[in-house]
Amino acid sequence: MFTHIWHKEIRGELYTWKSMLWLLISSLLFSVTCYLLLTNKELSLLDQTELLWLLGKVIIGVGLLVITVDASSIITTEFEKETAESIFLSPVSLTDFVLGKLLAALTLWFAIFIVSIPYIIVASAGSHLAIPFIAYIALLGTLGVLGFVLLVFAISLFFRSSKNTLTTGLIILLGLSIPAVFSSTLKNDVVSQIISHANPIDNIFSSLDNVLVDYKVSLLENWQFIVPLVVFCLLALGLLAFAMYQFQKQGVIRSE
Amino acid sequence: MNMTAIISIKNLSKSYAGNKAVDGLNLEIQKGEFYGFLGPNGAGKTTTIRMITGILQGDEGEIAIDGGSVHDKKHVSRLLGVVPESRGFYEWMTASEYLYFFANLYSVPKKNQEKLVTALLSEVDLLKRKNSTIGTYSRGMKQRLGLARALINDPKILILDEPTLGLDPQGQLMMQQLLKKLSSAGVTIFLSSHLLDEVSRLCSRIGILHRGRLIVEGTVDELKQKTGMKDLTEVFLHLTST
Repeated sequence: MFTHIWHKEIRGELYTWKSMLWLLISSLLFSVTCYLLLTNKELSLLDQTELLWLLGKVIIGVGLLVITVDASSIITTEFEKETAESIFLSPVSLTDFVLGKLLAALTLWFAIFIVSIPYIIVASAGSHLAIPFIAYIALLGTLGVLGFVLLVFAISLFFRSSKNTLTTGLIILLGLSIPAVFSSTLKNDVVSQIISHANPIDNIFSSLDNVLVDYKVSLLENWQFIVPLVVFCLLALGLLAFAMYQFQKQGVIRSE
Repeated sequence: MNMTAIISIKNLSKSYAGNKAVDGLNLEIQKGEFYGFLGPNGAGKTTTIRMITGILQGDEGEIAIDGGSVHDKKHVSRLLGVVPESRGFYEWMTASEYLYFFANLYSVPKKNQEKLVTALLSEVDLLKRKNSTIGTYSRGMKQRLGLARALINDPKILILDEPTLGLDPQGQLMMQQLLKKLSSAGVTIFLSSHLLDEVSRLCSRIGILHRGRLIVEGTVDELKQKTGMKDLTEVFLHLTST
């Protein structure tokens, strides 16, 4: 059943000017980043691995931002445009509904990832890093995006309002992004290190650093970054399960 | 008439912020019946309909649909066709895409879908506009499309919340003719409407809800006899003016 919801979202959300615009903006940002990294006098002096790491940060950052914004409205629109009632009058379960929407959000991330591949290949030219870079962007990006989409969906089911979901989602994303972009010299005390180990975005960037700069490409050498990301996804899934339980208790139409 | 209750409501209540929207409602709709559900604005009609369709949870009471619980989603969605009060559509879809989408959700076999969608669009007189996006439709056309969607699963029970609201006289007539046809085909119809003339012409039995309570029930003649009024409008105004 969820595949019908997914297909509907692909047609109604992905093949629209809004999604095309997201892809265009992503592509422009990747172009500008690559251009600056390769041609700017100071930036082009960076080691290629540092350059790739910066590009990786931009790709994941853009992906997380776009998907957080998109996922904020993907469920709530059904309530705001009053289409939810007819969907839930059909045999579609809430699980099918959420799963279809989740796949739609991940499809947009997949499109952004595909757009980023040529930039990764160009920036990695002459090195042996292109394949591990692509593989880790796929793995870390998908885990990060999955966690954020689950989180945003949970918020959507609590609020049932695009505006509130978007604001809350962006606050969480920015809240987690800011410490992740601090340099490692600012993370010497215990508290900063604990935050850094628990922060999913920090773990994504640290794993990319591990792969690209230190060339530790196996999963075993990155488990300490991947496990917290998986835990983040599981926590977000738990929150979504709670939101779904609440939603079913309240009914599709909330008593107000 | 086969006197078997297809919808059975016992002691149903629902409150919003301490105000009782539905208060101890008891109601039985018989198989094949055309039931008119009347009440002034805020009487609790839409709340009742949402609870019957399982979209809204009641605070107290029980609802049984053809012997099964209203909380059994598969059972309810198989039996019910609903034209809800909220009439959101995917405006970017064409009418035929919209019906195919719902045909898939209701697991209508692929081989039957084309025939079904064509028949339903023809029934609601939208066949010529089947490839136009819903966003270009008038309100009346959307109402008719909503009815076609409600019929996609060949329901035994059709529940309509103000289906003719905002329609021009031609649109109202077309909708009424369709409902009559469905009723003669044996579909149980539960109609909520403000158009008393429409209700008195179509419905075999009528219930009037006021402040969440069912204050009277019967045929139009029985209601007139009970109240001593000469038509349904007078009966309605007499009973709901306090």
